[in-house]
Amino acid sequence: MTEEKIFSGQEERILSEIKGNKNIAGLHGPKNRAFALLKRVQGQKPVIDIERGLYFTRSFKETEGQPMILRWAKALKYYAEQATVYIDDDQLIAGRIGRSGRYGILYPELDGDIMGDAIGQLPDRETSPFDIDGNDARLIAEEIAPYWKGKTFHEDLIKALTPKTAALTYNNDKDFSSRFIVNETASFRSSIQWVHDYEIVLQQGFFGIRTEMGEKLRQLDPFSPIDQTEKKPFIEAVIIVCDAITLWARRHAELADEKALQENDLSRRTELKNIAEICRRVPEYPARNFREAVQSQWFTQLFSRVEQKTGTVISNGRMDQYLYPFYEKDIKEGLITDNDVQEIFDCEWVAMSQYIDLYISSAGGAFNEGYAHWEAVTVGGQTPDGQDAVNDLTYVLLKSKREFPLNYPDLAARVHTRSTQQYLAEVAETIKEGSGFPKLINDEEVIPLLLAKGADFAEAYDYSVSGCAECRMPNRDTYTSPNAYINFAAALEMTIYNGRMAKYGSELIGIETGEIDTFISFDEFFAAYLQQQKNFLKHAFIQQHEIIRLRANHFASPLGSALHKLCRSSLVDIHQPHIDGGIDLGYFEFIGYATVIDSLAAIKKIVFEDRKATLAQIKEAMTKNFAGYDILRQRLLNAPKYGNNDSYADELGKRLDKEALLFTRKYSAELGVNLDLRYVPFTSHVPFGKVVGATPNGRLAWTPLSDGSSASQGADTYGPTAVLLSNFATKNYQYHERAARLLNVKLSPACVRGEKGTKKLVDFIEAWRDLKLWHIQFNVINQETLIAAQKNPENYRNLLVRIAGYSAYFTDLSIDLQNDIIARTQNEAI
Amino acid sequence: MIFNIQQYSLHDGPGIRTIVFMKGCPLRCRWCCNPESQKTKPEISYDANKCLGKKICNECEKICDAGAIEFSDLHKAVIQRDKCSSCMKCVHECPAKAYKAEGHQYSIKEVLDIVEKDSIFYRHGNGGLTVSGGEPLMQGEFLIQLLRQAKKRRLTTAIETCGYADYPILKQAAKYLDAILFDIKSLDEQQHIAYTGKTNRKILQNFDNLCRDFPKLPKYARTPVIPGFNDSPDDLLAIKNYLANKPETVYEQLPYHRFGVAKYNALGRRYMMDE
Repeated sequence: MTEEKIFSGQEERILSEIKGNKNIAGLHGPKNRAFALLKRVQGQKPVIDIERGLYFTRSFKETEGQPMILRWAKALKYYAEQATVYIDDDQLIAGRIGRSGRYGILYPELDGDIMGDAIGQLPDRETSPFDIDGNDARLIAEEIAPYWKGKTFHEDLIKALTPKTAALTYNNDKDFSSRFIVNETASFRSSIQWVHDYEIVLQQGFFGIRTEMGEKLRQLDPFSPIDQTEKKPFIEAVIIVCDAITLWARRHAELADEKALQENDLSRRTELKNIAEICRRVPEYPARNFREAVQSQWFTQLFSRVEQKTGTVISNGRMDQYLYPFYEKDIKEGLITDNDVQEIFDCEWVAMSQYIDLYISSAGGAFNEGYAHWEAVTVGGQTPDGQDAVNDLTYVLLKSKREFPLNYPDLAARVHTRSTQQYLAEVAETIKEGSGFPKLINDEEVIPLLLAKGADFAEAYDYSVSGCAECRMPNRDTYTSPNAYINFAAALEMTIYNGRMAKYGSELIGIETGEIDTFISFDEFFAAYLQQQKNFLKHAFIQQHEIIRLRANHFASPLGSALHKLCRSSLVDIHQPHIDGGIDLGYFEFIGYATVIDSLAAIKKIVFEDRKATLAQIKEAMTKNFAGYDILRQRLLNAPKYGNNDSYADELGKRLDKEALLFTRKYSAELGVNLDLRYVPFTSHVPFGKVVGATPNGRLAWTPLSDGSSASQGADTYGPTAVLLSNFATKNYQYHERAARLLNVKLSPACVRGEKGTKKLVDFIEAWRDLKLWHIQFNVINQETLIAAQKNPENYRNLLVRIAGYSAYFTDLSIDLQNDIIARTQNEAI
Repeated sequence: MIFNIQQYSLHDGPGIRTIVFMKGCPLRCRWCCNPESQKTKPEISYDANKCLGKKICNECEKICDAGAIEFSDLHKAVIQRDKCSSCMKCVHECPAKAYKAEGHQYSIKEVLDIVEKDSIFYRHGNGGLTVSGGEPLMQGEFLIQLLRQAKKRRLTTAIETCGYADYPILKQAAKYLDAILFDIKSLDEQQHIAYTGKTNRKILQNFDNLCRDFPKLPKYARTPVIPGFNDSPDDLLAIKNYLANKPETVYEQLPYHRFGVAKYNALGRRYMMDE
């Protein structure tokens, strides 16, 4: 009897494939349809489909001078009339917005100015490459890009920023590429993550919304200049969009009819006829059964992507809640079984996975490596009246996630103090499968914060997970401006180099807080750092002010507004800065949290307590990237570190958090929004690290920063409980200006083995919940698997790993990010 | 004397636990994966992989008053154990933390304060404190006080023992226990002596007494299955038969592993299973 290696479900599947077992689909029972669909698209290099960009451009050329919301609605209508519609062979769900395989679409209103040049580089880009057809490339260069030159939001923003703010935001090159210091994310997406009120579509259909708008139109004051110039275009735009999506759905019905005529296989012919019937009914009218409800939501979600580039793609909301009445009715009447429901979901997931969130700018690509789009689906949590919301459909969704190995949707499970043991165990079993799902969001942290921001209980209980780790209250949230990602490791560098950075030499980018050898105590050094931190925040907030102001002229969302109660009642587009009755929840991002804490702790310990080195020596070692300074580097690496439940480091972390909170407490009201402190990097800690030289925690130059609120790579040596406790200890619970903290925990499959392992994972999750931490996600994988996948990528094309609020195929990631994931501390069972 | 406190332990009792490893053991099991637990006095372990090597760093050599540190041809340190006075200066000086002190004195309060830091993880699933070793019963008085104070703090408690101790100590400790993990390594006395250095009589007698005096105490009887020692079907069957009617007893077999081999090198000792 010797110790055997324990593998996760995902690892076993891949190893079995490597051994030549082709019949993987058979392992999962009656799921051949979805597996067959998946096989056709998996691992294909994405291609660019230009239809959306082309039709939007052509429509915009015709509508110059009109109100933005009308222009947007007309472009959508034009798209609905012109664009190719698709129903894939064997698919049960109709609709795609790009060519077969994996595809990305264009949003030239965002990046048309750089699109012409960038498009040529996409096939060879290191992070998230794309292919493009030669003729399409020509259309982009000759027709699309030239029109947008001088008209994009990006260009306006650059002009609006003062030199000091701009120097922290952009490089001084022709594309104004990101400098990754105080990084704006508003010009590579037109909105932050968002979730619609899908329920109104399922219950009333777009016909219902159209009817409501018709009534509003009649009620307008014919003599009021506001009514006639602002409200009237809003109403007209919503009506156009209701017509557009209806028309678009009907074109799918026609296609299904045509295909049915040509189809020889009887059962497929029946399926196609059924699809035709569904597409004629929804989303125009209320859904009558589960199939119609799923198709209606999918059309709505898909058409949203055509409307605009929402950060992390429009989320799917609480699927187990709004679909439940249809599911319950169909099950009761014997119309469907759980297997049918699972098959329909699996089909939808494949359709989701074919869409690729294309970022033209290299900053966008680097932020969202592995072609990340989240497609968040929320399960569990509480009902608006505060009861446990888990139902049978919740379990079907979890089961689908366990059995169908795909990175979409991004399943998020809400957890609260009365979550049942069965729910928690099934969540744990799903995590154990090893592909990183679901991520967990904590009602006990999120709901009190939403209440503190002014929400009603019913709205707060009914929040949806949206995007990466964020939460939205459909019909109450009204803030859409993308926010700043701030590289505070650069602020630390500037404290050492008196306002300068290793990468940019003598250029004064920050503020001068004193030459390094003038600090005679740690408190002085720390005070200087806090000045640099505050200066970054100042410019981030200035940037945000301009972003909010300018976006209103550049973006409109008639569909998004149609699906928001407050927009329909005030007749104001969701992208306008103020909407009556709304709660504006934005954020700013602390990147490199552990990197900064660990650097400060190392300086405090090694310089001012142990007196083993001077600040000047540390600076010298940093400029040499520690070459010839091995002894000093080891001392710095072995100083106290965040993530070990060590108050030495954690107290510094708490202070950083508090200073940032106090800043936003004082100034975010001037912006008219709640800008909350957040620790969610996506994959940006990698590009942010690439501009930061060696740091006093012993980190080498240009390597990734710490991610989210996790410890520095490999610095957490006291196990996952200490990581959670450090997180808890560094939070300032007395203030409400906080949002998500993203937390990665990597466990070896042996830690969670068997029924006992499930129970202990549940115990761990319950402790996480009681600590009121916002988010947690797990990678259950053996270190050897990651290393093998890096060495032999061809065998591991379908290996999913958890990155930062989402999962992606490991082999789709850049080498830097792969190494970063390997370097995360693995927690072995003791 | 404690050589390690380990959080997030999953395999030594119910729930998520913190294990306090006490130093010193009456047995010398050939397969022991914690050689640093055997001796009662503090000792120094050295990890050559962490060491920067003499070409870069010789801080340890400079600080060692006893001249106990020499360097190999590979420029790695070799502790001359006979000269070493265990002053621990090298441990404190080494920038790479290649040296580690195995064994620290803690007060009972210090131990429990550390254990209690993770208390939120014990609440669900009945986790808590497990005292292991070495052999915790070897430091009987400290152990009994530790467990008594732990109960006062309403922590759930367990110990992991080889069973080789005087029964009155075990009996006192058991009063403060919620579970006990008890090794039954072999029923063959000669084999037991050959592989552990001690007879199994005392161990079996203790287990019998424990079952008599604490029938309701949950007991996890465990056998590390060691090639050549107790891995024959007959050996294992004998153990199962012996345990058959013991009250509240769960039986587990633990697979042999070699995770501890590197530690022998770090302590300058030989791994007996390879001889």
